Amino acid sequence: MNRALGAFVLVVAVVAAHLATGGATAADVLAVVQGHPTGLDARLLWEYGLPRLLTAALTGSALGVAGYLLQSVLRNPLAAPELTAVNPGAVLGVLGGTVLGAVAADAAAGSLLAALVGGALGGGLSWALAAGGGPGRVVVAGLLGSAVLGGLTTMLLAYQPSRFGNVLRWLAGSVEGRVWDHLTVASWWIPLWLAVAWAASAAVGVLQGGDEHAASLGLPPRTGRAAVLAVALALTAGAAALAGAISFVGLVVPHAARWLARGEPRACVPVAALVGAAALTGADALAQAATHLLAAGHLGHRLGVPTGVVTALLGAAVLVAVVRRERPA
Amino acid sequence: MTSTHVRGRGLAAPPLPHAALAASAALAALILAGLCLGTPSIAPQRIPAALGDPTSLEHVVLWELRAPRLLVALLGGAAIGTAGLLLQEALRNPLAVPELLGVSSGAALAVAVCVVWALPVSAALYPLVGLGGAAAGGVLALAAARAAGTATGVLLVGAAVSTAIQALLLAVMATADRLQYDLLFRYLVGSLSGVMWDQVARTLPWFALAVPLVLLCVPALGLLRLGDEAAASLGARVDLARLGVLAVAALLVGAVTGPCGPIAWVGFVAPLLARWLRPRGEARTWLPWTAVLGAAITLAADLAARLALAPVETPLGAWTALAGVLTGAALMRRSR
Repeated sequence: MNRALGAFVLVVAVVAAHLATGGATAADVLAVVQGHPTGLDARLLWEYGLPRLLTAALTGSALGVAGYLLQSVLRNPLAAPELTAVNPGAVLGVLGGTVLGAVAADAAAGSLLAALVGGALGGGLSWALAAGGGPGRVVVAGLLGSAVLGGLTTMLLAYQPSRFGNVLRWLAGSVEGRVWDHLTVASWWIPLWLAVAWAASAAVGVLQGGDEHAASLGLPPRTGRAAVLAVALALTAGAAALAGAISFVGLVVPHAARWLARGEPRACVPVAALVGAAALTGADALAQAATHLLAAGHLGHRLGVPTGVVTALLGAAVLVAVVRRERPA
Repeated sequence: MTSTHVRGRGLAAPPLPHAALAASAALAALILAGLCLGTPSIAPQRIPAALGDPTSLEHVVLWELRAPRLLVALLGGAAIGTAGLLLQEALRNPLAVPELLGVSSGAALAVAVCVVWALPVSAALYPLVGLGGAAAGGVLALAAARAAGTATGVLLVGAAVSTAIQALLLAVMATADRLQYDLLFRYLVGSLSGVMWDQVARTLPWFALAVPLVLLCVPALGLLRLGDEAAASLGARVDLARLGVLAVAALLVGAVTGPCGPIAWVGFVAPLLARWLRPRGEARTWLPWTAVLGAAITLAADLAARLALAPVETPLGAWTALAGVLTGAALMRRSR
């Protein structure tokens, strides 16, 4: 009960922080809630602030759950979407689609499809590199696959260097500048796969127990693992299509979620979604605040602080702290 | 931590004279191709005449553009390959490469900060700046990874620290002027475009400094190979020896990152190839092979970077990442 209350307070605090650092006041929020945003600030909140908030929340929950699924079925507490070549693949897909002119940079459905294709490419590549090895080998293959796809991405950038400025934010991951149009597909795609992941919680818990354990319970481990990985892929690609390569959310959030859910498999997925959403929204609030601070200087026309930078710095620090704490004496 | 030795199972390694002959022939062919190919392409038999006539266009192309670039590719590739071998041997992990230990990204970040924020640092000192960044990134990653225990854990924590440094690099670049992107791209991916003799002159002392240091490392590597306890029982100060080797690796990476940016994954694939060619060797035997193979791979990748989409230049680092990782993965799979 205490934890539920804590989670509620956390969500309210994070949303408030995000709105406040975005420059909205309580009056603007009230106007939007009542359904007639008329003032300039209220319009800004409706057109930019809220979609950005929702993008951060959706992306964070997708990455948190994808990371939980990967860590569970690969049985490696350090597995994460960005380390399994799915995320760089999805970024490559979006970039390739726009550079080759197959999809318009602003088309929401097109970029989601491109991210899915790219994410599947990345996942398939690490699958081929891992070639039936154990979970440790999957991790190594993911790292190598990420490097290959990163190389392809820079190749594309060299082909059209003028896109570098736009692509920089995809490479770092950012939720800035998203409007309602970007959310038309993601707003049902991500919740759909979150629900599938939740429904599959029991199977994930069984797979986590080991291949023999799963087989003895009648769940073919290879098929089961492939299916769960496919769900993780769909979630990661959805997140990447929205926000680019946001790192560390998928790595750190599942640890917090498992702790909060006390290892109860059924609770892990919704908790991971909630914590992921809160984490990325909070990180984006920090990014907004940092951008304001910098803009007070002489930043002028330059780009703000991408959200992915905040998550990478915080996430790396948390990861190192976690690894140190769990060190076997 | 385990040490994996690549032994060709299906494919036997060629005998030493053949391998040496093939490697030097390949290197010579690549050097010749590096001088001749491009726009304008210059027939090999015209090279002496062009070099002798300082007024001709071909002389400018050969001597002012292609020769310094060739030299930096050779030196840089050899240095990065050697750095990879030193890291892998010192940490006894075939995946301990500059890219995964924060070394490359640390060097790139340090140099990019100087460029973007226009810090009053002379370009001659960029190798020193890169060295500082490489050492800081490596120390950070290793300090964080110490606690991880297993080889995979070290790798993942190292990769995490690398990712964080990369994110900082992107943040620095986001504050850059749009006009600087071209220049900065190099520090993100590695490129040899526009390398001239003055850059060669600036980095040459660092390479010259590195050679005796690398030779000094060889006995230390032999000791570290025995394993920490055996080495300590022989009276070696294991931590000190490992630190020294890692410092030399950082020096090599820093010296390369100054002029070229990170040349990705050559430090991964060159030592693997050397081990595959000389499966029964040790660090001493692999060192020259790694240097030659690293130079050859980088030169080949630079050729591809210049010629593949000519007249547009593709980044060298992208080619080395593509070719290097795929080759390395194939070699590692064979060793399984």
